[in-house]
Order: sequence, then structure tokens, then C-alpha cells
Amino acid sequence: MNSNSNMLEPGRKSAIFLQNGGEWRRQIKRIKFPLLVLAAATMITLGKSDQLGLEPLRSKVMDAAAPALEMLSRPAILLDAAIGRARDLIAVYQDNVQLAAENERLLVWQQAALRLASENAELRDLLKLAPEPAISYLTVRIIANSGGAYVRSVMVDAGRRSGVVRGQAAISGDGLVGRVTEVGDSAARVLLITDLNSRVPVIVEGSRRRAVLTGDNSERPSLRNMETGPAIRIGDRIVTLGQGGVFPPELPVGIVAALDGEVARVEPYAALSLVDYLRLVDYGHSDLLPGSLSLTACGGKRSDPSLGQPVRR
Amino acid sequence: MARLLPVATTVFAMLLSIQPVPIPGYAAVTPAFTLMAAYHWTIYRPDLLPALALFVIGTLQDLLTGGPTGVTALLLLLAYSIVLTHRRHFVNRPFAFVWGGFTLLSSGAMLFLWALHSLLAAEFLDLRGTVFRGVLTVAAFPAASFLLGRTQRALMGEG
Repeated sequence: MNSNSNMLEPGRKSAIFLQNGGEWRRQIKRIKFPLLVLAAATMITLGKSDQLGLEPLRSKVMDAAAPALEMLSRPAILLDAAIGRARDLIAVYQDNVQLAAENERLLVWQQAALRLASENAELRDLLKLAPEPAISYLTVRIIANSGGAYVRSVMVDAGRRSGVVRGQAAISGDGLVGRVTEVGDSAARVLLITDLNSRVPVIVEGSRRRAVLTGDNSERPSLRNMETGPAIRIGDRIVTLGQGGVFPPELPVGIVAALDGEVARVEPYAALSLVDYLRLVDYGHSDLLPGSLSLTACGGKRSDPSLGQPVRR
Repeated sequence: MARLLPVATTVFAMLLSIQPVPIPGYAAVTPAFTLMAAYHWTIYRPDLLPALALFVIGTLQDLLTGGPTGVTALLLLLAYSIVLTHRRHFVNRPFAFVWGGFTLLSSGAMLFLWALHSLLAAEFLDLRGTVFRGVLTVAAFPAASFLLGRTQRALMGEG
């Protein structure tokens, strides 16, 4: 701050030293704030071009925070369960009538499904088709979301230790929810199909037109880069394409809910913001994704038989 | 121990803001709890919530949400320096002043986030979610301020 230190007599060397020490500390204090701002800005810029290599740090932070997040999310889950139970009690009679009717209808479908399954098996036998790879599921609980307007992702309470691998598809009971993008030891992140960065190869059932389901942070992702073909109609079912190996084929994704001009918007089957639990689909293709350093370093290989099993719950 | 309160509550606010709540669309409009805590403590005990802590907490939040790293840290640091220079307008003033100040701050913060994310995505992003989030943030502030003030008085005395 002041320049009088060089004006002091030589006998006060220690005083100078102390003063310089204080000065130094003051200087640090003065530039600390700009330095921190600069550091934050640098992280943003480098992170934008993926030069930061923060993946290992991300998974470490996820792992460290997972227990706290899990504990914090418990009251909300309990409350949700209590409300659900109360609602069920009120609606029990109506539900019963409805379920009985539905049951009758489903029994008919069951017969149809059984007949088709056996027919399918016979035809496969005739054609000598290779059997589809076995699919295993892992049920996980959502312990954190992205809490903001610009990212759509959730954190789940299982990681590498339970057999979670980058690239696995996440589904709810109703349909595709997203895909695993980061894996820690005991937690993982799932990028939702509504996120700005989400791209899922899909196919329009019926017309067999291929497209890329593109998230834009809205509730309804849109179909882009669509193959030419028969017109798309509202109500068309969208399922995963399953080529390129990231997703299993024919996972239900949603239905076409709106057409603004050329762009078809898809209403996901899964109520993304109401889901508590997810199932991660292990289809055995995850190694095809361009892995990060952390992934190659830590394996996540299928060869370990204990990893292929649905371990939790 | 009580001296850790500002940092502890800000960390708690950060964890709270990424809690999954089963309300449709809640995640996108979660109030900015971290900003509330940062604002409160920068006014009342700036000595106990240093810029470095805000930097670390902001970075942790970005790492946990999977958003672009550094955005929240930058936001909290800027908010800190703005509030610090205008502190005297808020200390020992009626709550309306404090709330008004926070309304200005969070409006600025939401616009800043929108601009920064739009820049990073290289397109103009939908502003509606951000506006709604800003409104919820301002609306939730009195409750947060009350709780923080109560905790502060209980554990630290008048600060």
C-alpha cells in the first residue's frame, strides 16, 4: 500500500520483514477477489470447449455429496408417499371398479401376447435369428436434480459399484427418461431427454421414419434431422432406434403431441418431473460410447459377472 | 462453531436447491436458495462468508448439477461484490429495504444467468423459465430471510 518501507533505518529489519509480510498479505487480499472472478470465468470458458478435464472431479464431488443428498431427499419422499397413500384411500372404491374393468381388458391382451410370443419364437426358430442380448435392469432412486432453468439432469444413488456404466439408458415405467452421462463410485448422473444437449436417435412407429429427438430444455423435445417419408401425424408413437448401440431398440419414448410447421414435438411417456425411481437398462452396448479418461481408468467392464446383475432392490 | 454458521447455511441452501421435489416442472424453477443465503450473510456477516467460500460453494453446485462449471461461482462472486458495496443501505433498515434490494439483485442475477447460458449455447434461450424462477426466488426470500435471521440470533447473538 505505502512505499515507506525503504525509508526505514537498517536497525528495524525485523519490523520491515513483519510489515512486508503484512503488506504481502494485504496485497493478496486485494487481488484475491479479482483472481477468484478470473478463475470462475476461466472455468466457464475452458469448460465450454471441454478442456478442463473436470470429469474425475465431478464424480468425486457426486460421490461425496451423495450421502447428504440421499438423507435430505428422504423427507420429501416420505411426504410424497404419505400424500399418495391418503389419495389412494380416498379413491379406493373408484380405483377398484376401474381396475376390475382394466383387468378384464388386460386378460384379453395377455392371451394375445402369449399367442404372439409363441408365434414369434417359432418364426425366430425358422429364421435362425440370433437371440437378442439379455437385458438387465437396475433400479435407482433420484437423489438430486439440476435445480435451475438451463440443465435437465438428475443424480441417482447408484454408481460404478452397482454396475452403472456411462451410456446406459434410464427408463421409468412409462418410457425413456434419459441416459447416464457421468458415473461415480456410488452416484451417477442421468441427462434427461429434455436437456438442451440431449440427442436420441429415434424412429416414428408406423412410418419407420428416422429422426433425432432433440432436447431444448422445454417439456417437449422436438424431432430433428428427419428422414423423408410419409407425413407425421399427431399421436404417432416414437421409439428408440437402437442403432449405433447407445440405446436398446424399441424403447417407448413418447408420442407426437404437436406439429408447429416442420417441427414435431414429442410428449414423453415418462412424466419426467414426477419420477422418483428410475431403471437403468443394461443392454451391453455401453462400451461403444466415447468414454472419458475416468471411465477407461476405472473399467466398468462387462466381464465381471457380478456387475451385470441388477444388484440393488 | 457459531462462526461457521454462514458457510454451513449457504452449503445447506446449495444442497436444498438441488433437492428433487415431486412437483411438475419444479426443477426448472427452483428458487435460488444459495443466492438468498449469500445475500443475507453478505449484508449481516460478510466477515464470516468470504469470497473464497462463495467460490467453492458455487463451483460445487455447478459440479453437482452438471451445469457449466463456474457459472454459479461467478454469479455468487458478482452478487457478493455488489451487495458488499451497498451494504450500508440494508443494515439496520426495515425488512422492505432488504427485500427490495434482493428483488433487484435476483432480477439482475436471473438476467445474468440467462445471458450467460444463451452465450454458452450460442442461441437465445427461452426466458420464461428464468422469469418464473426469479419470481419464485423473490417470493421465497422472506421465509428464507426469517429462518436465517432466527438461526443467526439463536446461535450468534445480534450480529
